[in-house]
Amino acid sequence: MKNSARAALYFLLPSFVFVGLFSIFPIVESFRLSFYRLILILPWLGQKMVGIENYTDLVSDPVARDAFGATLLFITVTIPLELLFGLGIALILNQTFRGRGLLRAVVLIPWAIPTVVSSQMWRFIFNDRYGLVNFLLFGADTSRYIAALADPYLAMISIMAAEIWKTTPFAALIILAGLQGISDDLYEAASVDGASSWQKFRHITLPLLKPALLLALLFRTIDALRVFDLVYVMTQGGPADATNVLQFYGYKKTFAEGMVGYGSAIAVTVFAMSLALSLAYLRVFRTSRLQGSNP
Amino acid sequence: MSTAKPIPLFLAFVLGVHCAIVHAQTTELRFVTWRAETPEVWDRGIADFERQNPGVKVVREIGPQSSTQIHDLLTQKLKNRDTRLDVFVMDVIWPSEFASAGWALPLDRYFTAPERDKFLKAPISANRYRGQTFGVPLFVDAGLLYYRQDLLEKHKVSPPRTWPELVEAAKTVLAREQDPQLVGFSAQFKQYEGLVCNMMEYILGNGGGLWDETRMVSALDRPAALAAVRFVRDRIIGEISHRGVLAYEEPESLALFTGGRAIFHRNWPYVWAIANDPNQSKIAGKVGMTPLPGFSPGQGVAALGGWQFGISRYSSRPDLAWRFVSFMTGEGMQKRIALATGRAPTRASLYEDPEIKGKFPQLQSLLATFKQAVPRPTTPVYVPLSNIMQRYFSSVLALPNTNIDQRAVLAARDMNRVLDLLRDRPAL
Repeated sequence: MKNSARAALYFLLPSFVFVGLFSIFPIVESFRLSFYRLILILPWLGQKMVGIENYTDLVSDPVARDAFGATLLFITVTIPLELLFGLGIALILNQTFRGRGLLRAVVLIPWAIPTVVSSQMWRFIFNDRYGLVNFLLFGADTSRYIAALADPYLAMISIMAAEIWKTTPFAALIILAGLQGISDDLYEAASVDGASSWQKFRHITLPLLKPALLLALLFRTIDALRVFDLVYVMTQGGPADATNVLQFYGYKKTFAEGMVGYGSAIAVTVFAMSLALSLAYLRVFRTSRLQGSNP
Repeated sequence: MSTAKPIPLFLAFVLGVHCAIVHAQTTELRFVTWRAETPEVWDRGIADFERQNPGVKVVREIGPQSSTQIHDLLTQKLKNRDTRLDVFVMDVIWPSEFASAGWALPLDRYFTAPERDKFLKAPISANRYRGQTFGVPLFVDAGLLYYRQDLLEKHKVSPPRTWPELVEAAKTVLAREQDPQLVGFSAQFKQYEGLVCNMMEYILGNGGGLWDETRMVSALDRPAALAAVRFVRDRIIGEISHRGVLAYEEPESLALFTGGRAIFHRNWPYVWAIANDPNQSKIAGKVGMTPLPGFSPGQGVAALGGWQFGISRYSSRPDLAWRFVSFMTGEGMQKRIALATGRAPTRASLYEDPEIKGKFPQLQSLLATFKQAVPRPTTPVYVPLSNIMQRYFSSVLALPNTNIDQRAVLAARDMNRVLDLLRDRPAL
């Protein structure tokens, strides 16, 4: 017995080491660095413990506040739309029709393309001279072409559009899995009782889909909070800082400006926000699951 | 016997043991660079260097093309004291940052004053930090004004000497051409480093500055800078450019010009060869080039750009690294690069070279511009300052209703806070 426990420990050890090295250590290290003033390009300042100064600076930093606002806007617009479109796609893919298998695979393509590649593609699509969007809107009338990425508001909308295109398949996949867990008996029983399609959707599909929807919401929020690559490729945070989301700001502070302490404080803040949101969702998730198992 | 030899060697290679064998015989020199415009010239040059230095193998690591991105790659390696990095390319704004951080090796031991005097002054001064030299310039860039010679001649407009003249010239041509595809001016106004180069040309051309290098305070909130920024917003972007320029880096703005859709174009010297190449340009042979305008004739200022070689302080073979840098920036190599690309060399003697003069006669006429080009102020905190300036310029250009004076005061305050970090810098 004791032997097998030890063996189990040996088998687990690699995973512990892996998680410790690549997950726990960086988090702890970022946390530690966020309490220091460490500026790479000014080595004579040394690495000085400054307590929560980086965090108080962050709160009073107008650029960080705008970045927070931009991130929040990004999340609140993209996620509901992703879930809505994802639900629509999932409902269609849940029907039986010819070529369903193929369509399910095709739908996943945007999700499968590396973001750096699709961001580049979207940059071309929104181009002010030869972009597809302009062509669809105005055809050959190039004098009316819009420079979407040159306008603070439209640039943000462009990035949101790219994000929705890219991650809707992911939401659809999770929701589809949820749909497939719903027993056909329920729909048959409802049909016998004379329920309309809408009533079936409203009173069977939606309530039973709640766990899947919450799960999609959880994953998408954590992911969207960390949006970075779209901004990096499409706008570099501009114009007028309109797309300067928190992660991109933190990246610039840490890696371009060498302000490691301040950058770490931003990273820790984003981490804390996604952790808090995850915990909140999980709470809701757990209670809704309990209700689900006891109809 | 001799035929049997390759087989075990081959096996060793397959097994991946070749590293050990190769190491025993050769010294590797690691070099981080971007993809050269003419890779074959670099390949041949490096092969020549390896032939002259038996047992040396130059291992190239090709980084991203964008200055900002290769900066992040290099600072990662240098911050981690990567000993597998010997030589790297540096944008003209990095030497003082890399010097201050202790990443770049001071080169004065090798790169002596008489040797430095053979180079153009401006790029050398950009490589100096607190009395030492940290880089050897490879080629130099300066902002230039390109224009459609055919259109200007057709409408009897002479090349502008001042920015207001440029706006008027563009408006005249636009009004007479009545071509909805045509814009007056194309340049780089995206929120990125190029925005600082463009804006500093207007600000310095108006007698202003980015910051005061003696008092170490921002100068963006002073009248000369404010007026220049207002001019760009109200007259350049408002009247003769389209708003698309606010998302343009060099390639997009150049594409507009070579596509025949812009009358005036601000860019670096490499554009001359591209704009006149019928395979890449619709306006080959119809292009004119002149120094940038100022706000009064002859007072134009060009931002200095260009790339240098630096050596890592953590390199285990600095002498060899220097031999490589010295070879790559030598007359022979600079001449080959100049002949292949039209890039402006940093060695003054090459401007007298008959072959270069024959192939790129315009380089000679640009020498004065290169000599007068102004480097962005050298400071280790350049990147944070640049980010503040980019934010300010982009905000006032992209949001036409913002109050420039107010924004400038905020930007100046942020810049001063960064500049203050240098106050307790230890004395030399």
